[in-house]
This record gives sequence, C-alpha cells and structure tokens, in this order.
Amino acid sequence: MLRLVLVLFSLFFVGCSEHLVRVMPYEKEYFSQDKMSLSPLGERAEQEGHIYLIREASAGGESAFQGGCGCR
Amino acid sequence: MKNILIGIFIAINLFGAPRVGDEAVKFQLPNLYDKDNSLKSQQIQGKVVLLNLWASWCSGCQEEMPLFVELQKEYPKSEFEIVLSSIDNIPQSARDFLAKVDKERVLTSLYDGDKTLPKAYRCPGMPSSFLVGKDGKISEVYIGSLDDDAILQLKAKIKSLLGK
Repeated sequence: MLRLVLVLFSLFFVGCSEHLVRVMPYEKEYFSQDKMSLSPLGERAEQEGHIYLIREASAGGESAFQGGCGCR
Repeated sequence: MKNILIGIFIAINLFGAPRVGDEAVKFQLPNLYDKDNSLKSQQIQGKVVLLNLWASWCSGCQEEMPLFVELQKEYPKSEFEIVLSSIDNIPQSARDFLAKVDKERVLTSLYDGDKTLPKAYRCPGMPSSFLVGKDGKISEVYIGSLDDDAILQLKAKIKSLLGK
C-alpha cells in the first residue's frame, strides 16, 4: 500500500519539476535584453540560438528563444 | 485506496491553472501611474473584462497594445473594460511604452511587480489575456499576442457576453 502511495505521489510531483528548472515566460525580462543576445547581429543570434537549443536540449536559457516572450 | 485517489484528484485541481469556466483570480493591484490608488477585482465585477498580462520587453505585447486601445474606445468602460497588468521589474518602462501607444490613458493600467497574476494563472506564454464575463468566470483564454482576426473574434465574444 505504502509503495503504491509513493508511486502515485512521485507521478504527481514529477509535474512540478518543469516549473523548478524552466524559466517561466514572465521571468524572461533579463533574457530579452540586447546584451543577453548570443550575437550582436540579429540573424546570426537566431541561428546561434537555434544551435544552442539543440546542443543543450534546453529552452528559455537565452534571449533568441521566443524573443523572451514565450509566445513566438 | 478510494480516499487516496480522491485526495490526488483534489490536489491536482488545487494546483491546476484556472481554465475556461473557472472563477477568475481575485486580485488587488496598484495603479501603474499612482501606486497609492489600487484596484480590487471586486470593483470590476459585473462587467466584461479583458485582463491582459503584459510587459514592455515583450514584443508580442507591444504589437497588440494599439489594437487594445482601439478596442477599448469602441465600448463604454461601464460595459467592457480592458485591464492591463504590467509585470515589468521597473514600472517606468511600462509607463514609457504606454506613453507612446496610449497617450489618452484609455486602458486601465495596473502594476504587478511581484508577478502574482502570471503565477496564479501559471501563464505558459507572454502576453496572456483572459476574457472574464459579468459573472466573474473566465470565458476565454488567449496565449500570445492578438492580431486583427483574433480581435474580430474577441469582439463577437464580447458581444455575446454583453447579451447584445
């Protein structure tokens, strides 16, 4: 019984993990600043950001991703 | 076993983000231009409200703001009100941006520096807008910026909520 409860709770709380590690869209103010861009050139920054996302398998860690908004 | 499942179901509902049909989140936020003057959600109950969570650094928010100004001008505030809630770290940034697009201060602008509303709504994107009916329930959720077509659909929704 205890094991079942632990399994259910671990399944339930695994949903929290994303919020713990992911920068939420409303927290991206500093990432949206120009100085956070990977490159001063817009197109190049976008390209580098794309490569960065693939390499790091991460989201929201740099400014080019979704323009810092989470919507685009 | 049954009790555990009921407990988990209640917990999921408690932690879940508000959805269409749910009661809108209650709030009390200061005015963007006058921090001593705050607005309670109860004060706007009874009218159709479009709650827009935005920031001056968000390009999508910047794009839709002129459309909101035009939309608000079409309705009296006693019937339909657009309530902006800025989550900028520096409120002056929001004021500077609005000075360009909303010179007449048509839109009701609040400041939410602690980001309480996006946290409560668990916003998956910015901007996020919530259309709230006269009964205080969420009628529509818009994630991302609204374009001309979306505004047309929004107008139809407002019309039905106003019972016109």
